[in-house]
Amino acid sequence: MLQKPKIALFQCQWCLYAPADQEWVDTQLPENIHLTKTPCTGRINPLYVLNTVQGGADGVMISGCLPEQCHFKTGNMAARRQLEEFNDFLNHIGYEKERVRFVWLDLQDRGIIQKQLAIFEEELEALGPASNLVTRTKVAEGGRHA
Amino acid sequence: MPDLDAIKTETKRLLSEGVVEVVVAFKPGDTPLHPQPAFFMNVDDVDSLVYDGLCQNNLATFLTRLPKSQKIGMLVRGCENRSVNALVVEKQKLRENLFLVGIPCEGIIDWRKIVERTGEAVIAVHENDLNVFVDSRAGNFNFNRADLLHESCLRCTHRTPVNADILIGEALPEGDLTLAATAVEVFEAHEIDERYAWFHKEAERCIRCYACREACPMCYCTECFVDHIEPRWTESGATPAGMQGWHIVRAFHQTGRCTDCGACERACPMDIKMTYLTEKLNHDMRNKYGFVTGLDAQTQPPFATVTLDDKNRFSV
Repeated sequence: MLQKPKIALFQCQWCLYAPADQEWVDTQLPENIHLTKTPCTGRINPLYVLNTVQGGADGVMISGCLPEQCHFKTGNMAARRQLEEFNDFLNHIGYEKERVRFVWLDLQDRGIIQKQLAIFEEELEALGPASNLVTRTKVAEGGRHA
Repeated sequence: MPDLDAIKTETKRLLSEGVVEVVVAFKPGDTPLHPQPAFFMNVDDVDSLVYDGLCQNNLATFLTRLPKSQKIGMLVRGCENRSVNALVVEKQKLRENLFLVGIPCEGIIDWRKIVERTGEAVIAVHENDLNVFVDSRAGNFNFNRADLLHESCLRCTHRTPVNADILIGEALPEGDLTLAATAVEVFEAHEIDERYAWFHKEAERCIRCYACREACPMCYCTECFVDHIEPRWTESGATPAGMQGWHIVRAFHQTGRCTDCGACERACPMDIKMTYLTEKLNHDMRNKYGFVTGLDAQTQPPFATVTLDDKNRFSV
């Protein structure tokens, strides 16, 4: 594959507790990874995931705090119930299940996010670019539909 | 078939005794194939009430359009009763303000299945428990009732209303739960690209009329996500992304709330299949959380009942 797979990264703002990790995500993220920071994993609406999928993301990575470490008590659990089901549902209509990945990040760990992104990227390269459900209308410069 | 006279008598009693202010039921429509929902407020009007297998709307849709404080009587079949329960769970209605006249349902006849067999010029339709007799310009037909049922009704599990205030007719036995599971498994047995091709083929016919939304009792949001202008959550035109996004998110919003009545599919003017989406979600809710929508008026759906115990459910 010539181009690196495009990854949409949804990150809960509390789960990267190590300053070095957060700085890496904020400033040194590779170009093929698109970061969306949310106040909590629970804020990630399935619609956001769908929008990245339709816009051509080859993979979606959703990070959250470990169980019982959520800043809002059960936000990560609520998100997990919904997004896991949403992933199953997307798989039902033809989007590979492997393209959506959940990562629990321990507040104490260091450097996990880099490792997980590297593994995910490798797996996505093996899968190839996503084609199903990628239907977003291309918008040309000036906002006109191409 | 339930006794129509018994239904009328009960409706008249409700109105004349002042138990309810309005009864939601059906009256004859413009064509024999489409009885239409009606609101009966006077005892004299009740004589025009009809009920047969062609009554295809889910009447629970109209509950959220009437005031919460109003005393409402309603004809309910199995699926409608479960929809009402789901609305009560979501605090859209007060159960004590509703009087449900339960009818054990033998299944709703899909009018499209009649039309494709007889042509559109249907003059009259009569039915009994086993047969449907259709008079049309093309001749007189006699069909097996089971052949004309809507797909959702063929795999229906709870045909008898679960907590109606009064039941007209005899309770029917529970349906076979494996039928619903089989429908999902058959679809999932296809290759992933075949599944996407099917979904694409169905969704691309959509004209974004939102008839499915209007027909659904659980779609009661004051402002739907597709109607938002700022921010625009999804493409709102009849574009591929817009049509697919609508079908995906509409179905997903019904997770743990859909009763699989099939009203969305029957309302669709483009004959788009939709229940294979919601049936998958129902199937998952049954398997993962043991939840069936609307069996009582207290149990919260899975997405509303998150606890820390969930940590055992998901691997770290």
